[in-house]
Amino acid sequence: MARNLVGSLVLVLAISLCEAASIFQPISESHRSAALELFTPADGSFGSLEETYEALRTFGILGIQKKPDIGTGSCQSVSETLESSSSTTKDLFFALKVNSILECKIDEAIFQDITSRLKAVVNDGNSLLDFYYSISSLVLIKDQNSRVDVLLGDADGIFRSIKALSQSDGRWRYSSSNPESSTYAAGLALEALAGVISLASSEIDHSLIVTLKNDIVKLFDSIEKYDDGSFYFDEKLVDAREHHGPLSTTSAVIRGLTAFASVTSGTINLSGNKILGLAKFFLGIGIPGNSKDFFNQIDSLACLESNRVSVPLILSLPATVLSLTKKDQLKVKVDTVLGSSAPPLTVKLMQAFISGSKDSSVIETQELRFDPENAVHLLDVLPKSVDVGNYIFVFEIVLHDSVDKKVYTTGGQTQVPLFVTGVIKTDNAEIAVLDSDLGSIETQKKLDLAGETSVSLSANHLQKLRLSFQLTTPRGKFFKPHQVFLKLRHETEVEHIFVVGNSGKQFEIILDFLGLVEKFFYLSGQYDIQLTVGDAVMENSILRAVGHVELDLPEAPEKAPHPPARPVDPYSRYGPKAEITHIFRAPEKRPPKELSLAFLGLTLLPFVGFLIGLLHIGVNLKNFPTSAVPVTFAILFHLGIAAVLLLYALFWLKWDLFTTLKTLGFLGAFLMFVGHRTLSHLASTSAKLKSA
Amino acid sequence: MSKLHLFLTLIPLLPFLCTSFSPENPSSRRVLVLFDDLALKSSHSLYFKSLQSRGFELDFKLSDDPKIGLQRYGQYLYDGLILFCPTTERFGGSIDLTAILDFVDSGHDLIVAADTNASDLIREISTECGVDFDEDPAALVTDHTKYAVSETDGDHTLLAGDDFIESNVILGSKKIEAPVLFQGIGHSLSPTNNLVLKVLSASPSAYSANPNSKLSNPPSLTGSAISLVSILQARNNARILISGSLSMFSNRFFRSGVRKAGSPTKYEKSGNEQFLTELSKWVFHERGHLKAVNVQHHKAGEANEPAMYRINDDLEYSVEIFEWSGRSWEPFVADDVQVQFYMMSPYVLKTLSTDKKGHYFTAFKVPDVYGVFQFKLEYQRLGYTSLSLSKQIPVRPYRHNEYERFIPAAYPYYGAAFSMMAGFFMFTAVHLFNK
Repeated sequence: MARNLVGSLVLVLAISLCEAASIFQPISESHRSAALELFTPADGSFGSLEETYEALRTFGILGIQKKPDIGTGSCQSVSETLESSSSTTKDLFFALKVNSILECKIDEAIFQDITSRLKAVVNDGNSLLDFYYSISSLVLIKDQNSRVDVLLGDADGIFRSIKALSQSDGRWRYSSSNPESSTYAAGLALEALAGVISLASSEIDHSLIVTLKNDIVKLFDSIEKYDDGSFYFDEKLVDAREHHGPLSTTSAVIRGLTAFASVTSGTINLSGNKILGLAKFFLGIGIPGNSKDFFNQIDSLACLESNRVSVPLILSLPATVLSLTKKDQLKVKVDTVLGSSAPPLTVKLMQAFISGSKDSSVIETQELRFDPENAVHLLDVLPKSVDVGNYIFVFEIVLHDSVDKKVYTTGGQTQVPLFVTGVIKTDNAEIAVLDSDLGSIETQKKLDLAGETSVSLSANHLQKLRLSFQLTTPRGKFFKPHQVFLKLRHETEVEHIFVVGNSGKQFEIILDFLGLVEKFFYLSGQYDIQLTVGDAVMENSILRAVGHVELDLPEAPEKAPHPPARPVDPYSRYGPKAEITHIFRAPEKRPPKELSLAFLGLTLLPFVGFLIGLLHIGVNLKNFPTSAVPVTFAILFHLGIAAVLLLYALFWLKWDLFTTLKTLGFLGAFLMFVGHRTLSHLASTSAKLKSA
Repeated sequence: MSKLHLFLTLIPLLPFLCTSFSPENPSSRRVLVLFDDLALKSSHSLYFKSLQSRGFELDFKLSDDPKIGLQRYGQYLYDGLILFCPTTERFGGSIDLTAILDFVDSGHDLIVAADTNASDLIREISTECGVDFDEDPAALVTDHTKYAVSETDGDHTLLAGDDFIESNVILGSKKIEAPVLFQGIGHSLSPTNNLVLKVLSASPSAYSANPNSKLSNPPSLTGSAISLVSILQARNNARILISGSLSMFSNRFFRSGVRKAGSPTKYEKSGNEQFLTELSKWVFHERGHLKAVNVQHHKAGEANEPAMYRINDDLEYSVEIFEWSGRSWEPFVADDVQVQFYMMSPYVLKTLSTDKKGHYFTAFKVPDVYGVFQFKLEYQRLGYTSLSLSKQIPVRPYRHNEYERFIPAAYPYYGAAFSMMAGFFMFTAVHLFNK
């Protein structure tokens, strides 16, 4: 049977050989530090007993010594839960689980009491979860206190009633009233059934166990697969009360499977490849971020580590990047999933071929030397035929002991992608400006691609630029790197990139500027030349400013394309703007006050002259009327004129036009009247004089 | 029935559940996270934990879940959206490209992580944000000079990026020492979109190409023009983060140590956690969100705001600016806030003085040009939300009686007029009564 298993395994692996390979690392130190980070108790205890159990179990598996001290607090809540009559089977289950690790002091009477309660649940249980929690609790009590009688009388009957919930495809229902089947439930059912077998007072009917084994095989038919060779279970139904992701589903199945395998004799016909795939699934998720997933991962790996079906061995490489120049050794480690050492074995390097090519192997099959000190398998020197490049190495684990072959599964051949790197030598690098029609060399300069020299060239659009160099690997072969770019960058940051092609043994690029003027947007001026040579396996990748070339290109014709718009520099776009201050209109220029006063004096001069003139010609007021009425009118008339003049002064000083005109109206009428009287009086007196 | 009941009780709460970032009610924010694989919830949990610890309610959903939706009855259910589903071709439920763009257009924030084989949908969303991913679906950003040294990853697609944008508001005031690990696809920024910014650029030796095929043509993206992580702040202050790598958010990269090729320093922890946490603070408006209140202006020496200024008046302008810190509004301290006195073009542009407690003030003279002016405060700085305040105020010329009287230069005119008047008065008397 086992031989058949191994035979079929090799066959399966031979088929899967051409798939993409990836490496899985066993559990390491980083998991331990992550565990301490994830399981940090708040106020000296974890939230619930379930979380406490998960933390304690994880610490236990990982062998963490300096775990947080939660013993007393947890023991107290364990005994409280166990004593309380209102605790559900789920509470009891987790309390007992915690107790199995902490070993608190619990009275035997309490155990007796719980046992009778649990047995009652088992006997009239109808839902899978009832069976699961109660039976698992009974198993835990059996381990913790040997004096309590936990054995089930009607084990066959219980076995059948759990089995009645199973479906034809190997999955289980949660209860008989719920028609939906679940893979997670299958895991729980297997664990419960394993518990029934271990608690059975008499031997369980063998045919039942055989059907159950078939169910397991059917369940494993529904396993799903990732491209990297890892297997997992996923819950089909999404609408279940509590949705379980692939991680918890797979974890439940593994717990069930390993629990069942440990209580039954005989083999379960499962391919070791699937077990290894499951282990790879758990290792492939790395370090989960929440404590539940972390627990599921570690607990499942621990189950796989010691299961009775087949224990997976993980082949891992500490380094898959090997330097030819530094003469790195090829090291291979073979561990169990939790990182403990494997049984005596030999690792054979079967083949090695360049990835991507289907060529035959570049090396012959050879065994790796075992270094017991570091527990690694070594290949001291890479064979001469291995040059720099990407390889796929194929390893096979051969167990020394034939008994081990039944216990362990190695996955047959393992493919590992390897990068062999080295320092690449550059030779014959030169840059030249050629005349286009003749091909004669105008200027030619040697380049030292490793050094710091920089060249300066000048060319016009009728010339060509040639750059050439050679690359050789440490083994002296011609090397073609992935990235060989020549970049010309104009002062205005317009860039042009060319892939440097290789002709036979050397890399060469000839830039014919005549054909490139349009591409260069007719931009004359200085172009910086940058050469980039890089490859994944090249240790000394080159990014080098070679120098610059001064290009003299013709004037752009009218319809020439414009260089693309340059993205705006964000720093300048968002900066503060320059301040703006308003420039006020300058006040008009005015003469000095003295000058104004002098001219004021000048304007008063005619008035003074007028007064002097009057005195000079000897004016008199003899014509002023003498009789009372004309005197009054004459005085009023002149007062009126003075008032009008005063009105003008007032208008100038403060009044507005309307007040002024109003007043002027009255004054005008008054003046008209008195003026008329005065003038008519003067006219009559002068008429009298004439007539006289 | 019970669902209906629950629903009815929730209706009054809806307006509170679904606002975008509003200065009035900035806390309590709900974020929808869409995955294409639920395993991401666990493998990227450190990132989510940092969000949850800052008070965000994350709603994790599969991207093809038929029940997902961004809005219900015209109200948005979430304030932010995280798309960790690079391969999703179509979303379930009512979400599609337009729904996401509407979500952003209404001021909500978005984080998009693409990866190799990014779907057309994710590319379209990015294109709408001014980010063009490399069109080759198998292309990866490769850098043979500035890669992160790894024992197991030899194809130099794991980059150690340290070319960050220089902005304390986007990346926090603490300098990011360790390089950021990046593995994914590169993108370029559309030159026509000037709102989008490179936060993490590739080094000059990087290029974006399929590492497994030989290059015959120059790759479309090379050098530091490749953006690895970009951000965009829309005009409505919605913020978007676009990354070409989903794995840079993962716990593995958060915890992993990093050593850059060619450099002897080995960092115990990569800069990813600091970089992405600080960026998420920016994206979710915990930093760089400004509000301006209490805009005041008045004549020098007065307290009340006038209805109108006269040319050449001396005026004082003040405003208070606050920044949201994730919990409260803190005074914003800067020395480059500027106010403009604007009519068609700025007549006065002055930097405001500050008392370092959020109060900004200045004084200036109204220009001698009359018309309808505006006080304009346009504050657009890298990473900050833009402040745009404007207040209209008319400026009038002098009234007729506000000009200067009794100008000395006019004394000769005054003298001439008055001597004329006096002369006239005397002349009338002399003319009438002289004999």
